[in-house]
Amino acid sequence: MTVAYEKSVVGTGLIALCGNPNSGKTTIFNALTGLSQQVANYPGVTVEKVSGKLDLSSEAGRSFTLVDVPGAYSLSAFSPDEYIAALVLFGGIKGQPRPEAVLCVIDATQLERGLYLLLQILQIGCPAVVALNMVDLARRSGLRIIHHRLSKMLGGVPVVPVVGNRRRGLDKLRQQIAGVLSTPRSGTALRFDEITEAALDGMVGADADPVYSRARCLRVLYDEEGPAETEFVRERGETAMEPVQRARERIRSRYGSLASGETRTLTDRASEIFESVVRSKNGPGRTRSEKVDRFLLHPVLGPLVLALLMILVFQSIFSWAAPFMEMIDGVFASLAAVVEKGMPPGPLRSLVTDGIIGGVGSVLIFVPQIAILFIFIALLEDSGYMPRAAFLVDRLFRWCGLSGKSFIPMLSSFACAIPGIMATRTIEDRKLRFITIMVAPLMTCSARLPVYAIMIAAFIPYKTYLGLFNLQGIVLTMLYLLGMVVAVIVSYVLKKLIFRTEQGTFMMEMPSYKLPTLRSISVRVVNRIKSFVVRAGTVILAITVIIWALSYYPRPVVLAPSAESPQAATVETVNEQAGQQIRGSYLGMVGRKIEPVFAPLGWDWKITVAVLAAFPAREVVIATLGTIYNLGTDVEEQSSSLVEKMRKARWEEGSSAGKPVFSPAVALSIMVFFALCCQCGATLVTIRQETTKWIYAVATFAYMTVVAYAGAAAVYQVFSRWGL
Amino acid sequence: MTPLSRMIPGQKGTVIGFTVDSRISRRLLEMGVVPGRSVVYLRNAPLRDPLEVQVGSCCLSLRRAEASLITVRIEE
Repeated sequence: MTVAYEKSVVGTGLIALCGNPNSGKTTIFNALTGLSQQVANYPGVTVEKVSGKLDLSSEAGRSFTLVDVPGAYSLSAFSPDEYIAALVLFGGIKGQPRPEAVLCVIDATQLERGLYLLLQILQIGCPAVVALNMVDLARRSGLRIIHHRLSKMLGGVPVVPVVGNRRRGLDKLRQQIAGVLSTPRSGTALRFDEITEAALDGMVGADADPVYSRARCLRVLYDEEGPAETEFVRERGETAMEPVQRARERIRSRYGSLASGETRTLTDRASEIFESVVRSKNGPGRTRSEKVDRFLLHPVLGPLVLALLMILVFQSIFSWAAPFMEMIDGVFASLAAVVEKGMPPGPLRSLVTDGIIGGVGSVLIFVPQIAILFIFIALLEDSGYMPRAAFLVDRLFRWCGLSGKSFIPMLSSFACAIPGIMATRTIEDRKLRFITIMVAPLMTCSARLPVYAIMIAAFIPYKTYLGLFNLQGIVLTMLYLLGMVVAVIVSYVLKKLIFRTEQGTFMMEMPSYKLPTLRSISVRVVNRIKSFVVRAGTVILAITVIIWALSYYPRPVVLAPSAESPQAATVETVNEQAGQQIRGSYLGMVGRKIEPVFAPLGWDWKITVAVLAAFPAREVVIATLGTIYNLGTDVEEQSSSLVEKMRKARWEEGSSAGKPVFSPAVALSIMVFFALCCQCGATLVTIRQETTKWIYAVATFAYMTVVAYAGAAAVYQVFSRWGL
Repeated sequence: MTPLSRMIPGQKGTVIGFTVDSRISRRLLEMGVVPGRSVVYLRNAPLRDPLEVQVGSCCLSLRRAEASLITVRIEE
């Protein structure tokens, strides 16, 4: 009874959606679940877990959780994605049960390869349904698949022809899923060669579910040091591996390699099925994509188109987003004003206006840029262009110590390092992936722009050379280039000295081009923004509140209006008090103590404090400078009064007392520091999540801070001597 | 029998096998590079590496080093 209760009321059962990369799995997932999806991370690992609600109440009387299992070619766990796919299917994810059914998507134009994975999955013995996707494309290229014969050859597994992006065949798919849930099991176990079979007989213990157990043992046997082996050793101890090792040796000496023992049986069976279910096989089709590629992968035109596309993406991120960003900014400003009026002054009001609205607002302002970037990325990915871009730049990136697959993460990092770091999941090579993660934050993200904008506006003269090149623009471009050049150097050093990678692999499918649908693009963009906003509301909010507290406390006892002006303190006196206050705050005390450390960079304690306060997010530096320069935290980068205050700021003591604090050299030193440092708490948290180890986050922060310090000091020393 | 990497764009052939058995050859098998399938050498990337081939109905991008592990019979 309790089981029935759990299923109908609390938990919905689990259905796994799996398939090859590029099989249209995600399109089908989106079509089946709509906007009910949730994005999370698998505990302790690096792969994003996407799940949604599959409502089968009219077909099966209840609804299920559909998990979008990462794309895999095989269960042998070659990439992190495949490692997770295997874990999900075997029920190895903590807190997540074994799936009640598996929905396997196969690209009809790549049937034989899809069958390879399907056959592996069917060994597990879980009820399964096959969605034969893109049957329209297959038919157009002259491929007719007799799906009922396919179903028969798979031992009764239902096969439903669908066209995912046109939502055709989905109702039938739902019915079939509901159908297999009521039947106990489908699919037949494959018979392997006698060495494998003997080994499996020895390994499978007295298990309640011999089919499942056999499938697991198969993975233990064939995936050396894979997830199944780890689990096996934990359950049965090291000694249980001895017969397994002996069987592996026997397979090696018989077939030349361990893998062949399995791949031989699977590929033979896959092609046997393929031959008997496919009616007419014309020559390989896909001529349309091939025609497009003659142009897009042309040795000269290809790179040119890629460069133009990138320029378009950047242009739009910076120009199209601007009006929306101003709008969001306006909303937060008026929100702060309302709170300011409606609440009595005190710590609580300051926390709400300066801490929460100021801090979270400064992050949410980037939602339009992130939305635009993700629209482009979704378009490029869904259309099938991304692998082409990686193909075009692979050689160039390899020369820098990266791979063509690093291109997409690096491109994303220009908007924000967080999606960039998450995009490294397609890189199978662990070391290469970690190098990409560690240099991605060097790309100039949108959070650096406010800092550059205010410093350039205040201290870089508006001079034009040759009637075309503006000095302010040149400085901005140089800052972008600086990040890229340092990234190349760092990845080269990491590759040669620390990770010592050999050449990674670059085996990648070039899928045929597809027309992206509005629906799938919008679902992806909306989900991305949702998870970004959630992050801003949790991690970033927490860090902002801590920084606010450090700069708010301790409060001096007396802050009463003076005798001369008893009614209302003028704006100046209030601001003056705010300045006094921050000098005496914990942050101010620390800042003055460590001022000498940053003296070679030309910074006074106020700049030092502002930079330290910007640890959670770079753009916080503007707000902090505003507070320190007696303006309150509500200062925008365009605010001329902060620019004025900075220009007027003088050294209070020491040898250069009375001289201006800010000069072009100091401004450059601040900008170079921000170009190279990793002042972004969210990025560090993401690095920790993606690499599963804090050491990578700490190492990234450390090396970037050192490089930033050295770079800023060098720039200041050179330019200040030059008299700037 | 020649390594795939020795083919030139436009040439056709048949996959024979792999020169070494490794993780890479296993992955190639899983991705559909199975002995007996037809192979067409489509093109080189701008700096002559990686290269694109069509095996059966699937287009793959491979680095030259990976392509040299695959042996093919070139069609006359």
